[in-house]
Amino acid sequence: MISTAGKYFDGISSKPQEIELKLDELNDQLRFDTSSCQINYAIGDISFEHIGSSLEIRNKIHSRVLIIVNNDDFTAAFISFLKRKGHISLYQRIIRLGFKTHLLIATVILTFIIAGYVLIIPWVGEKAVLLIPVSYDISMGDTFYDQFIINNEIDSTKTEALNSFSRHLQLNNTHKIHFTVIKSSTVNAFSLPDGNIIVFTGLIDLMKNYDELAGLIAHEVSHINNRHSMKMLCRNLSGYLFISAVLSDVNGIMAIIGDNVHNLQTLSYSRQFERQADEQGTILMIMNGINPTGMVELFTRLQSSEKVVVPAFMSSHPITTDRIVDIKRLINRTPHHHTFNPNLDKLFRKVKY
Amino acid sequence: MENEISDLKNYKLSFHGQGKAYFGIVIVNWLLTVVTLGVYYPWAKAKNLQYLYGSTALNNDRFTFHGTGKEMFVGFIKAFVIFGLIYGILPLFFYLEMPILGAVIFYFAFIAILPVAIHGSYRYRFSRTSWRGIRFGYRGDRSELFVGFFKWIFFTIITLGIYGSWMEMKLRGYLLNNVRAGNVEFKYQGVGSKFFILNLKGYFLTIITLGIYSFWWYKDLFAYYVDNLSLHKEGQQIRMKSIATGGDFFKMIMLNFLIVFFTLGLGYAWAVTRTLNFMVSKIKLEGNIDLDSILQTEDDYNDATGDDMTGFLDMNFII
Repeated sequence: MISTAGKYFDGISSKPQEIELKLDELNDQLRFDTSSCQINYAIGDISFEHIGSSLEIRNKIHSRVLIIVNNDDFTAAFISFLKRKGHISLYQRIIRLGFKTHLLIATVILTFIIAGYVLIIPWVGEKAVLLIPVSYDISMGDTFYDQFIINNEIDSTKTEALNSFSRHLQLNNTHKIHFTVIKSSTVNAFSLPDGNIIVFTGLIDLMKNYDELAGLIAHEVSHINNRHSMKMLCRNLSGYLFISAVLSDVNGIMAIIGDNVHNLQTLSYSRQFERQADEQGTILMIMNGINPTGMVELFTRLQSSEKVVVPAFMSSHPITTDRIVDIKRLINRTPHHHTFNPNLDKLFRKVKY
Repeated sequence: MENEISDLKNYKLSFHGQGKAYFGIVIVNWLLTVVTLGVYYPWAKAKNLQYLYGSTALNNDRFTFHGTGKEMFVGFIKAFVIFGLIYGILPLFFYLEMPILGAVIFYFAFIAILPVAIHGSYRYRFSRTSWRGIRFGYRGDRSELFVGFFKWIFFTIITLGIYGSWMEMKLRGYLLNNVRAGNVEFKYQGVGSKFFILNLKGYFLTIITLGIYSFWWYKDLFAYYVDNLSLHKEGQQIRMKSIATGGDFFKMIMLNFLIVFFTLGLGYAWAVTRTLNFMVSKIKLEGNIDLDSILQTEDDYNDATGDDMTGFLDMNFII
């Protein structure tokens, strides 16, 4: 029978009473004497907390009484006795495994999270798109288009010319394609999921021949054909839900770090989509008998208009030099044949002047 | 006079939690929460509070948090149902084609639930806290707090937020003045006017110094909360005093930021234990209450709804 000095609080006042606490292993009991009586606790009726060097024992039936022991030998004997009797919960066992094991657990969870994020989220993103009806793409694009048009000035002559230019091309489009030319010095163009493509005059002004315009159209139409906007939205949302589900329970800081990593990752999806649009756009040009080097020329002009070079991992688009190299490689390995198309040339001049 | 001085007792608040041990709690909670798809969350919250309360000691005797995961789980479910009903108001009235009435009722219900949640949270937390086997308790009256809360909110809105400082002091005062530990009663004496001036000064100096003054603003806030709190029992009292300086806050916050940042968030456990250790060690107690003479006064109490609703609304009350 092991025993120790301890403090007993009777749950009536805060006055400590000095006691001699005995662990009676034969009868599965804790025993001690107070000034007025002898008390026995059955092992099954007690709960304990072990924090730092202090052991606090309570009775489950009389939850206000408290015994405090500061004796490491007694604590060790007490806990190993409870362990033998099966009174230590799984939770307490895991907590007692120590710092190294906890660090290992943290590493394992983090590894699973990263693996889940890298492998599962893009897959979920792709599959989720198939479940979303195309009508949703259209209403989303429409809403954005209507809002965008209110704040911008349309060049209606050029818009008409650009639309007839595109009608002369075989674009394998799944949606009805419609172009809008906006008066602005911005060197840019973008596509909306409903088949609307916005082109700024700043970009058209840079172009020298119709191959380049065809390259731009082929690139943007490839985005629409592949539902890139919706795929982006699905990946973003599933990634965001995943990150906040697994990290926000730990702490806010980890969730913020997770969000930022996710934003960088999103940019990489965006670059993947740009590459895909470059590749499929070039093939579309070849199919239409247009000189695919128009795509290369388009990017060369874009590059000369770029003022600041953003590092690849922080950009939504691949670095232009890399894109040019990739497109040239594709052109070299794909047999192609092109002839001058006077119709397109005439329409191109209309778009430009 | 002489008698009073010789009566002075020694008190020591201390925090014994360690980053390494708390890291274990956080990680095991994380593991179980992820594995159970979040169901474990209330149990994790209970374990967390049990560790942090248990690591705080007055005169080397630790505080205890008696709340359980099961209680908090029930509270969580209740909070979920209540918020589900409130959020159901909008679509219902939209369906009835009375959207404006729906919005008014929605915001009214949302504001009305706040004092109920705060009240429930205080009742639950304090009834589940003990020291040397003596239970704490909160004896505020729900309807009284409810009426007061609406009055304060009304004044805060019509004064465009200026009354906010008075509201915060009145709310804190009402809550803390109803807290007791056995037959020891809490008293909070902060007033709106002083708190308003403190915040006004803090706000403008923080802007002028490009944020640097914010640490001194924290120091003032902390001191205002602590210095106005005292404990009373049968004519005897314990007063509290903050000895933290702005420089202390600066050092603590910057170091915590670096720890968390460079460990990609895993150092969170150390940041929490360091913060609590800092706060506890910066509070000095002085007075003549005999800590061996506190008597049990509170009954047992069962309802964790309030506790989870404030978690839901993400409000933190520093005491």
